[in-house]
Amino acid sequence: MYTLLSGMWKYMFKKDEYFVLILGLDNAGKTTYLEQTKTKFTKNYKAMNPAKITTTVGLNIGKIDIGPVRLNFWDLGGQEELQSLWDKYYAESHGVIYIIDSSDRERVDESKEAFEKMIQSEVLLGVPLLVLANKQDLKNCMSTSEVKQAFHDSAQKIGKRDCKVLGVSALNGDGVHEGIEWLKQCVERNNICRPPTVKEIT
Amino acid sequence: MGGLLSYFSGLFGSKERRILILGLDGAGKTTILYRLQVGEVVTTIPTIGFNVETVIYKNLKFQVWDLGGQTSIRPYWRCYYSNTDAIIYVVDSMDRDRIGISKQELVSMLEEDELKKAILVVFANKQDIEGAMTVTEVANALGLSSLKNRKYQIFKTSAIKGEGLDEAMDWLSNSILQQK
Repeated sequence: MYTLLSGMWKYMFKKDEYFVLILGLDNAGKTTYLEQTKTKFTKNYKAMNPAKITTTVGLNIGKIDIGPVRLNFWDLGGQEELQSLWDKYYAESHGVIYIIDSSDRERVDESKEAFEKMIQSEVLLGVPLLVLANKQDLKNCMSTSEVKQAFHDSAQKIGKRDCKVLGVSALNGDGVHEGIEWLKQCVERNNICRPPTVKEIT
Repeated sequence: MGGLLSYFSGLFGSKERRILILGLDGAGKTTILYRLQVGEVVTTIPTIGFNVETVIYKNLKFQVWDLGGQTSIRPYWRCYYSNTDAIIYVVDSMDRDRIGISKQELVSMLEEDELKKAILVVFANKQDIEGAMTVTEVANALGLSSLKNRKYQIFKTSAIKGEGLDEAMDWLSNSILQQK
C-alpha cells in the first residue's frame, strides 16, 4: 500500500527536466528572448527591463514548467571569443535554440558560419533545433523566408533532426509561445535518444 | 509594532545587500573595494582580516566585504558566507601560474549551501597590463562552463584605471534587484 501511494505521489510530482541551449551572435536578442519566455510561462514573473539587458559575458539561466515538463535554459554569451565556450554545454543539451538578428544583414554570413559550426558538432547529433529570425518588429528587417534563403545551403548539414524556422520578436513576445511549445514536443519525442533527468519537485 | 517599524524603514532606507569580494592574494580586491567606495586608487597592504565598507550605487546600498586572500586565511572566508547576495570573485589576469589554485578556491566556495543563491560576478582584473588573459581564457581556466545552474558574468576590469567597474556594478545591481 505504501509503495502504491508513494509511487502515485512520485508520479504526480515528478518532472522531466530538459536542458535547452540558446545560442546566436552577440546582440541577436538571446537574453531578451529568455526573459520573454520566462515572462510568458511563469506566473507573476517580473521581467527585467529590456533596456537594462547588457551584453552577456557568462551565463544566464532560466527554467519554466509546462505540465510535467521542466525546461531549463542556458543563455550563453555570443561574442566571437565566447563562442568557444558553447561546446562545453552540448553534451548535456536536449534542444538548441539558435537566434538570428534579422535586422543585421551585414552579419548574416557571420551568423551562418557560427551556425554551421554548431550543427556540425557530433555531440549535438539529432538534437532538436529551433531557428529564430528575431527582431521581426523592426521595419526593414529580413523576413523569415529571406532568412531561410540565406541559411539555405546549411540545410543539408542539419541532418536528421527536428528543425523549425520561426519569425519572432523577443521584444514584444510574438512567436515566443509557439516556438517553445514546439520545442517542448520535440525534446519529449527525442527522449529515447536523450533521456531527461527526472527530478522530484516539492 | 515591529512590523510597522520595518515597514517604515523599508520606505526610508533601502535594505543593504551583502556582497563579498573574494579571490587570491594580490588580485586587487582591496583596490577594487576602495575604487567602488571613494572612486580613488588607494595604497594598500595585504589584507589580514577584512575591510568592510558601505557602497551606494544608484540608490542601492551595498555592504561590501573584502576578505584577505592569503592561503592561511582563506579557510575563514566561509565564516562570512551567510546571507550573501552576490560574490565578486577577483582574478589577477596576469597570474597564469596560480589560476589553477584560484579555480580550486572558487569551486569549493560555490559548493557551499549558503552561497547557493548568490550571484557570481568574476572580475578579470589587471586588464591594463599587456598580455593579460582574455575573458575566454579566464572562463576556461576557472572552469566556469561547468557551472550549469548559476547565473554568472565576467567583466574585464582594471581597478587601477577604474575601467569596467561601472558596467559591473550596473549589471550587479540589476541582477540583485531582479532576484528579489
